[in-house]
Amino acid sequence: MTPKLAAIPLSRRTLLKQAAGVTAGATLGMPAIAQSKPFAGLKLRGAAYQHGFFNHLKKYIPEFEAATGMTVDLQLSAFPVYNQQADLELSSGGSAWDFCNVTFILAARWISAGLLSNLDDFSGDRKLTPASWNPDDFVKGAQVPYVDKDGKTYGYSWEGGAMLMGISRMDLMKKRGLSVPRTFDDLMKVADGIHGQQDVTGFVSSNLHHWFLPPYIHGFGGDLFANPPGDIRPTLDSAAAVQAVDYYGRLLSKYSPQGVLGYTEDQARAALLGGRSNIFIHSSSWVTAMLTSPDSKVEETALVTRMPVGPKGDFPAANSQGLGIPKNAKNKEAAWAFIQWALSPELTARIVKDTGHASICRRSVIESAEYKRLNTINGQDIGKLYLDVLQQPAVGRNYMAYRTVKEFPLMGDVVNKAVERVVSGQMPAAESMRVAQEAALSSLRRSGAKV
Amino acid sequence: MALASYESQRRRFARQAFAPSLLFLILVAGLPTLFLIITSLTPAALVNPGSLTDFSEPFRNYTLLLSDERFVGSLWVQAKLSFYTVTMQVLIGTSMALLVHAGQGRWQSLRHLFVIPMVLPPIVVAVIWKLIYTPDISPIYRAAKALGIVLPSLTTHVDFALWAIVIADTWEWAPFTFLMVLAALQTLPSEYVEAARMDGADTMGVFLHIVLPYIAPVLLVCTLFRVIDSIKAFPLIFLLTGGGPGSVTEVTNYYAYLVAFNFGELGYSSAITVVLLSLTVLISWAAMRASRSNQSIE
Repeated sequence: MTPKLAAIPLSRRTLLKQAAGVTAGATLGMPAIAQSKPFAGLKLRGAAYQHGFFNHLKKYIPEFEAATGMTVDLQLSAFPVYNQQADLELSSGGSAWDFCNVTFILAARWISAGLLSNLDDFSGDRKLTPASWNPDDFVKGAQVPYVDKDGKTYGYSWEGGAMLMGISRMDLMKKRGLSVPRTFDDLMKVADGIHGQQDVTGFVSSNLHHWFLPPYIHGFGGDLFANPPGDIRPTLDSAAAVQAVDYYGRLLSKYSPQGVLGYTEDQARAALLGGRSNIFIHSSSWVTAMLTSPDSKVEETALVTRMPVGPKGDFPAANSQGLGIPKNAKNKEAAWAFIQWALSPELTARIVKDTGHASICRRSVIESAEYKRLNTINGQDIGKLYLDVLQQPAVGRNYMAYRTVKEFPLMGDVVNKAVERVVSGQMPAAESMRVAQEAALSSLRRSGAKV
Repeated sequence: MALASYESQRRRFARQAFAPSLLFLILVAGLPTLFLIITSLTPAALVNPGSLTDFSEPFRNYTLLLSDERFVGSLWVQAKLSFYTVTMQVLIGTSMALLVHAGQGRWQSLRHLFVIPMVLPPIVVAVIWKLIYTPDISPIYRAAKALGIVLPSLTTHVDFALWAIVIADTWEWAPFTFLMVLAALQTLPSEYVEAARMDGADTMGVFLHIVLPYIAPVLLVCTLFRVIDSIKAFPLIFLLTGGGPGSVTEVTNYYAYLVAFNFGELGYSSAITVVLLSLTVLISWAAMRASRSNQSIE
């Protein structure tokens, strides 16, 4: 579906005008709310995990409260804690929350179990949603996890993650006569050429192998499942998957810091920002910190670019996080008013402008001149890279479909173990993936999946 | 007749006196255990509320457990972890107690320091060891590097990961044995030792024939407590290794946690927990029997 950009012609001036409008409480997005305070006295309860976006959003919530008359109680917990709370709250049919974060990796599970409300009922109702809100403006690739097979929408994405390659020591690479790696082969050569030079490791990653490995499996022509989301027979022992684990395992065991298997994302990021590791391939917000974070020691020598392409194609991972409404929420219309406001193009543009927060999913804002100005750093148009990757899963085959399978957490765990076995030298790649395939089959069957 | 009446009154009084405690115990421990057992007979899944009352295949989870290599592997890891940690804790704790008892003047002031690890919250202990084991920030790794020594990353190395947990757990819990044994040593009548020395016993002889038999019941209790507690090892594994690399440090309760909260399979996780609980009860029962027979021999 082509985004209806014409519905919101954006320029810097328009954005500023709209931003001013929101402040006045009479924005284009919510005229009804601003004028009549239909939710006066209501207390809206919501939950999400701790993320910079919500810290920014909290600063604007008083405006929403003033415009609607309701008060918003937004509880934020650590990511794993929130996911456990949400799993219990939603599966028990609780009504404690009016809106909640729809976690990417759990979205398919929650949607298929019918735990969330169909948001099309709200976005399609002109009494509740003005046409200018334009749901098609969300980058399609970011919306994939929140749409079921019948095309119904259960969440709107507030955060996008686009896998990009961060290179911290371009100076060292130039010195060694190495150019930016464009293919998997190049990446291995660059890692080899840099590793050990001036105490820098060639590569770094974190322990989330279920996120980092699949682009290599795709790049070598494989997938985690036979044909997700319909056919979820695991294909972890395919030649492509074995090749990918062998390749990624070599990057970790030969060219990464000691103890990389235990690295958290923060540790990997710190290694990149400190210039201790040359390449980290992860979501945009993690690698662009090299250019924007005050902790960065490599601002002058850093480059953010697309991750290398595999022999069978270009499959950078993309993900998103959404906001949705639990099926048994007590105040669904009020929750929708909140989601509508929080993810409106106007507020999104304000947040980008005021805070620099860039990992948004509103295409019209990402393509605006203001966004481009703010996200062009050291001459690098990060916004374009981000959008290219974020929309990639919706172009051609949806290669991120593996993550929309509700049994994916089981597979993710199996993949993590498989990589760890290879990197720690317990098994060669082929044997580890054979074990992983058996483990995946047995776990999936146990959980009731027909494989 | 009067005696029988007295006896029945005494029994009634005892029953009434016990009743509140028994009721409390049933409420606090019995009901959750019962719920756990009932859940283990269902395919309960977090995202399928109806599955909590599905008893169509009550023993499916237990049948699956038998062929679950990861579960069997986790039991073996648990056995190794318990054996290593308890052995080291009892040996080191006892040695420390003997040392402090033998040189009370010198060690008196340090006695309290030994207890600190035990009173720290387990997650704090895990954080301390995370700092020690992380090559990037650990002072030990930095010192080794300065000396030109390359230390392996303990928590991610297949040969050392389990030992990394053993060392941290021993550091935390050896003071428990230390305290218990020291308390026992302080009640050891000095006449026993003096008499043995007058009979020509050397230090080792005194230890083997006087001290060790005297503290043996305490050591047995320590071992029992530590074995049971070692089965609950969780924060160290959660924070230091996450059960890895691979499944090298994945103990049974960590696996049960993953199954319940990462995979959402409450029924299967409950079955794992029931098996673990049964093993713990069995070990406790065996240890108590051993303790009783030891006392009767004495």
